[in-house]
Amino acid sequence: MKIKLTSIMVDDQDKALRFYTEVLGFVKQHDFPVVGEYRWITVVSPEAPDDAALALEPNANPAGKAFQEAMFAQGIPVAAFEVSDVDAEFERLVARKVAFTQEPARSGAVIIAIFSDTCGNLIQLYQPVPE
Amino acid sequence: MLLARESFRNLCRARDILSDPDVDPPSIEAVAREVAISPFHFIRIFDAVFGATPHQFRMRTRLDRAKQLLAAGDRSVTEVCMEVGFSSLGSFSLLFTRRVGATPSAYRRRMRAMVQVPGEVPRELIPGCFSLMGLLPAAAFRSFREA
Repeated sequence: MKIKLTSIMVDDQDKALRFYTEVLGFVKQHDFPVVGEYRWITVVSPEAPDDAALALEPNANPAGKAFQEAMFAQGIPVAAFEVSDVDAEFERLVARKVAFTQEPARSGAVIIAIFSDTCGNLIQLYQPVPE
Repeated sequence: MLLARESFRNLCRARDILSDPDVDPPSIEAVAREVAISPFHFIRIFDAVFGATPHQFRMRTRLDRAKQLLAAGDRSVTEVCMEVGFSSLGSFSLLFTRRVGATPSAYRRRMRAMVQVPGEVPRELIPGCFSLMGLLPAAAFRSFREA
């Protein structure tokens, strides 16, 4: 059993693909039409292309949409990506017009920052701090 | 940009107001006033957070709801148009066709042809990506290097 795939709900798959590749810098792995206007889109990190892929999943299901909206309004991130320099990522993404709800801050053994992915989610960046 | 906690809360409240399918909805300026942000700044930060201007967001929300109702319900196109907050059938049909690529009635026919239990939208139409894996080609399961 392996963890090769996870997903995040997005309100618009085209917009999500642009944000996750052009702004965050992930690389498109697959993009297949599945049903109706919905596509199977996955992205991976260019730093670790063999790690788990992230599927950009439409939030067309009202139950999923309600969950997504509630988590967002409560300020809770639904995914966390590891970075080696969270301050540098913060600067880089702010320069690309990304809106953060939390600037880099130490929290236990990590430094975290939180931003909006423009598709209905808050995403946490974390940088492990060596002991 | 770094959003203050208060601005973030206000933007979430604005999103709720913009999602409300009122046929006589408040103007974008009125929504901005309601959440105490200047209209220009409101449009800019709403776009940065939600990836759409307040107006675009309102239209997209209406069309998303229209798609659900057309696929599942037994309502007519006109009823759906009113229910999601449009007052003109013409502008609803035009916008729907431009965004979805089919007229509301063609979309309704196509979706309803796939509905077996009346009033229930089939799983295939409301992904749940993982439930659709069986429809994917083998190439979708190749790793990045092979792809």
